[in-house]
Amino acid sequence: MKGAVTRLLLLMILLAIISRAQVLRADSGTSVTLAAGALLLCGLFAGKVAKGFGLPRLTGYLLVGVAVGPYALGFIPGEGVKGLDLVKGLAVSLIALVAGTELRLGLIRRVGARVALLCAAVCAVTFAVCFGATLALKPVLPFLAPLTMPQALAVSALMSTVVVSFSPTVTIAIVQETRARGSFTEFLMALVIIGDLLVMVAFALAAGMTRASFGGGFDVAGLLGGVGWELFGSVVVGGVLAVAMLVYMRGVKRELPLFLVGLSFAAAEGGTRLHLSPLLVSLAAGALIVNLDEREGERIHHAIQQAGLPVFALFFAAAGAGLKLDALVTVGPAALLLVVLRGAAIWFACRRFAPASDPRLKEYLWMGLISQAGVTFGLAALVSRTFPSFGPQVEVLIVAMITAHELVGPVLTRRALTASGEVRTDEAPGTA
Amino acid sequence: MQALLVFLAIAALSLLASSPALDPSRFPSLARLAAGGFLFLLFGVVLGPSVVGALSADDLGHLRPVMALGLGTAGVILGLNLEPRLLRLLPRPVYAAALAHSGTAFLFVALPLTAPLLLTSHPSLHAAVGAASLLGASASLSSGHFAVLAYRAGRMDRARGLGVALLTMLDDAVGLVVLAVALVLSAAPSAGEGLGLVCLAVLLGVLCGALLAFLTHAMKDPAELTTVTLGMVALVGGAAAYLRVSALLAGVACGATLALVGGRTVERVARALGRVERPVFLVLVFLVGCGVYTRDWAAWALVPGFVGLRFLGKVLGGRFAQRFASGVLELPPRVGYALIAQGGLALCLVAEYQFLVPGGLARRVLDVVVVGAVVNELLAGPAFRQVLAEPKPRMAPAAAVDDVEVAT
Repeated sequence: MKGAVTRLLLLMILLAIISRAQVLRADSGTSVTLAAGALLLCGLFAGKVAKGFGLPRLTGYLLVGVAVGPYALGFIPGEGVKGLDLVKGLAVSLIALVAGTELRLGLIRRVGARVALLCAAVCAVTFAVCFGATLALKPVLPFLAPLTMPQALAVSALMSTVVVSFSPTVTIAIVQETRARGSFTEFLMALVIIGDLLVMVAFALAAGMTRASFGGGFDVAGLLGGVGWELFGSVVVGGVLAVAMLVYMRGVKRELPLFLVGLSFAAAEGGTRLHLSPLLVSLAAGALIVNLDEREGERIHHAIQQAGLPVFALFFAAAGAGLKLDALVTVGPAALLLVVLRGAAIWFACRRFAPASDPRLKEYLWMGLISQAGVTFGLAALVSRTFPSFGPQVEVLIVAMITAHELVGPVLTRRALTASGEVRTDEAPGTA
Repeated sequence: MQALLVFLAIAALSLLASSPALDPSRFPSLARLAAGGFLFLLFGVVLGPSVVGALSADDLGHLRPVMALGLGTAGVILGLNLEPRLLRLLPRPVYAAALAHSGTAFLFVALPLTAPLLLTSHPSLHAAVGAASLLGASASLSSGHFAVLAYRAGRMDRARGLGVALLTMLDDAVGLVVLAVALVLSAAPSAGEGLGLVCLAVLLGVLCGALLAFLTHAMKDPAELTTVTLGMVALVGGAAAYLRVSALLAGVACGATLALVGGRTVERVARALGRVERPVFLVLVFLVGCGVYTRDWAAWALVPGFVGLRFLGKVLGGRFAQRFASGVLELPPRVGYALIAQGGLALCLVAEYQFLVPGGLARRVLDVVVVGAVVNELLAGPAFRQVLAEPKPRMAPAAAVDDVEVAT
């Protein structure tokens, strides 16, 4: 670990020199490639350092991203981090593709109903608690205070829907890192994936209600069409991608990692442009492939693992660099309160509603549900864009919550998997 | 979305280029262009803002990070090839021969073309000199792939094949030095400031190279080694682009430093880079092609002069090289004809120049060199046959030169 610390420090010194040298230039050039290289290298060695401390590598990636990013030491400019959005989309697609290959029909039949019931219960309890807390905070939250009661109800519902969401990205990355396998891990992964699907539907409904409460009218047909397109359109496009992948894998049989990266890039970018969910597109593609041809599904899993190290290191380090620490200062107390209440609600719901057949679910499952990342970021940004009058302030509050969740979530997820006894090894080369 | 479509089109084209669909026996010129990557250059010209417009000038601006990555990677690979042990072993006449052939081509192109550049663009004298030097530097470069492939195919003996390859490897240094000089003259308001920027690029490269050697020292996991290598290449190219200094020169300094102090790691790093060399090169030449402005008639008028003068310079320079290297380096007769192919570094030089010296003159230089490089690639095949006019039979004959893959 000492070597990794030394290497990380040397990298940071080099970055400091580069950022000092930039001051000598009147104007700067593009900083995206610099951000990519710096975050990749720092992420890799910070992951090793984190592992030395018994933490998930992912925590190392996130922390070093925060440290060298524009909101702390400022070695990497904000434009550089923003320019890496494409990489983030690519990573989410790759991760969802791997997650999809875990969704075998046998598993869905075995735990599908129980997971869906528990998911609904956890989401409902968490939503109710956060909704109540947000409404109670109306007098002190600047964006809620001036609103009428129906408007405040709608905005609170919208915000609470976003706050409920989980992070399949973090969960899958930690599962890959620890090589965890077993019923608990399957249950956790299925729950975070289904949870995010529920949140997507609920978000569309809440957004429609909010728009109506602000005088925009309640367009039921448009609402159902939007939700339907996002869900079913994503599944259909995912199906088409799955067929394309199978044809390639059976016909060409060469350069699979490169092909998968290209296709995931297309899914991420194309999905966003077509108002589909890139996560769902890749998830559906992975699930269809593994259920049509299990051997090819395994090949995809293996190929993405090979490309996983740089993608995960860059994705999470960039996510860390994008965390707005200044938001913590302005809305810190409210965000902290909501973080604690959300955690308590998830804990209570798991203790109360998790199947009694496996005591580990009641005991440890809640820890795996704390993380928040890509989906929550995306929904918060959508609120900001859709409702410019109050959306940006809601976004700040949610991003402050994500910051807290990103820092403790991966640690808790890893602890849950370790406590469940399903972690196989700490050394999974080529993974997060 | 347009950028995405273009990337998908690149992927399709790369599959096509590596497929047997381009049969050399049916379309030898096209196959040669495809194998050398020059088909991507033409593809870029067609899709770029000045022809079809699938990629706008804004899109190209957004793809600058990719360009910086490509230039940085090319630089590091070049730097890694500058093996200090080999360079120390070479006798002086070899350097003299390399300088003679590249210097002659440089002078043949740079001196006569300064006047038309001055007349058509009305720039300051030092800007015109800088641009003409870049044209000369691009002309001085040659690609040794025909010689290497002819040797592999048994159509040229080993010593001669290696002799030509060695000359072409050394002329890369001339091109890079001229780029540095041109940047000193044109990339900043004063020559002193320009020199400072070039020094900054080299210093950045040296620091990154030394750090890369340290980071990869004793690294066992191949996935980690590849990640660190790619990360450092991105860092050196990205930092140079951020500081607006030459990514190519910084990359060369990085690679050369690693070659000097990296020990046994160098080979593994080179292997890791080798895996991405071809795709990065193809994307880079595609983007260079996109930068061509086809409606600049003055540039089209300069192309015949550039190609013709370069041809003469190479033929005459080849004779000088033969004279200087006689008794030390075995070279084929009419060696100048073996040096007509221009290679990818010429494109990197002009792309870097346009990056750092914005304006119409740099774009004109790019136009001339890009079109000239394609013409030279087409001329190179027939020209090389002149070198093989009296083949020395040895080894089992394999495929003809035209039939074999062309390295970049």
